[in-house]
Amino acid sequence: MNKIEDIKRIYDDTEIPGELESRVKRSIRCAGRKSYARRLGQSALAAAAAVLIFAGLVNASPKLAMAMADLPVIGPMVRVLAYRFQAIDNDQVHAHVETPVIDGLKNDALQANLNEKYFEENKALYDEFTKDMEAIMEEGGHMGVDAGYVIKTDTPELLSIGRYVVNTVGSSSTVFHYDTIDKVNEVLITLPSLFKDEQYIQRISEYVLHKMTADMEADENKIYWIKEDDIEPFQTIKADQAFYITGNHTLVISFDKYEVAPGYMGIAEFEIPSEEIRDLLVSDQYIR
Amino acid sequence: MLKRYLLENKEAHYRMALSYTKNKEDALDVIQDSIEKALRAIRQNVLPQNLNAWFYKILIRTAIDHVRKRKDLVSMEQEEMEFLVKHEDHYAQFDLATAMARLPNAYKTILVLRFFEDLKITDIAEVLGENVNTVKTRLYKALELLKLEMREEAYE
Repeated sequence: MNKIEDIKRIYDDTEIPGELESRVKRSIRCAGRKSYARRLGQSALAAAAAVLIFAGLVNASPKLAMAMADLPVIGPMVRVLAYRFQAIDNDQVHAHVETPVIDGLKNDALQANLNEKYFEENKALYDEFTKDMEAIMEEGGHMGVDAGYVIKTDTPELLSIGRYVVNTVGSSSTVFHYDTIDKVNEVLITLPSLFKDEQYIQRISEYVLHKMTADMEADENKIYWIKEDDIEPFQTIKADQAFYITGNHTLVISFDKYEVAPGYMGIAEFEIPSEEIRDLLVSDQYIR
Repeated sequence: MLKRYLLENKEAHYRMALSYTKNKEDALDVIQDSIEKALRAIRQNVLPQNLNAWFYKILIRTAIDHVRKRKDLVSMEQEEMEFLVKHEDHYAQFDLATAMARLPNAYKTILVLRFFEDLKITDIAEVLGENVNTVKTRLYKALELLKLEMREEAYE
């Protein structure tokens, strides 16, 4: 017969990761100040559970990743894998940088360009951080960076992938970049490419302004910088404003934290009703 | 007080979280979420009488939610069922460590809370939201699966 003590010994043998202590301390310190990045992380987790399983594999074995790419697949199979930079986690600094790796496009040039861009940007971010980190470690203080991605849309036709960077030095700032890929024709969709001409800038801006005003009237906790006496009031979207396309073929315009609103508002996203812009679209292929 | 408890018991909490999530990163996420929930709850209410039982309740629910979000739950339950069916007859190749690792959570949690955390059966029932008899039955089953010596006082 076995003894309870044997079970306890086995159970106690569970390896305890070194970062447990710093994570617990950080959680205790930060409780109640739940950052946007964290909430974002959770939804990303739910949306991209399958992707995350791949993520571990790619890092664990490049060979495995390559072997998987050779598996026969039925129909176009485009997927997103992840590459993780070595995580840094202690009392003062933390860095979690995850880079998407698009796989399965037959358009090698497009795929290589995107992957290279993703990798280079995050590598620069990570290198910069490790450089600054040394100073912080000596002088004291806290800083952190979280970078990763969310799959906003993944349908047989479209892949919208958003990459975010959250810098934490005191307060945090969040920046989002989106890429939307037509999986069938294997092209990158830009905002101007959706429209016949530049009228869309004004049309979308008007709608966003209208929506911001309505939101502020409906909920006094919401603030957008649109009044004339605001320092840099929102007037118009950029021609290449961040955007993605939803699975329901609608356009979503996105603003970074602090771009059009105070920090507590986080990322501001506006779904543009398709009828508002229908007459300006090149076709109804992507937006309906 | 809660903070000290959290720091002092972090290893035990981690092991419990890990037995649900099966991987390190998720276990750490579960710990973090549980701490946030606990501290938020504390701010609104007085400290619960049995801190240990109270925190395990939060921890286990968070872990289960987390696993469910990962959509692994269905397949895991499937595995657990298969384990129970298959392994009952295979005591011959019994390896304690493997058996412990593969013991379904519903059983392992009870074992851990009862013997390592020294919670009473009634507390465990409260933590898991099960009735006392279910907990007793599972504990009995867990001991049997692991071929553990029976101790009458275990059922108190």
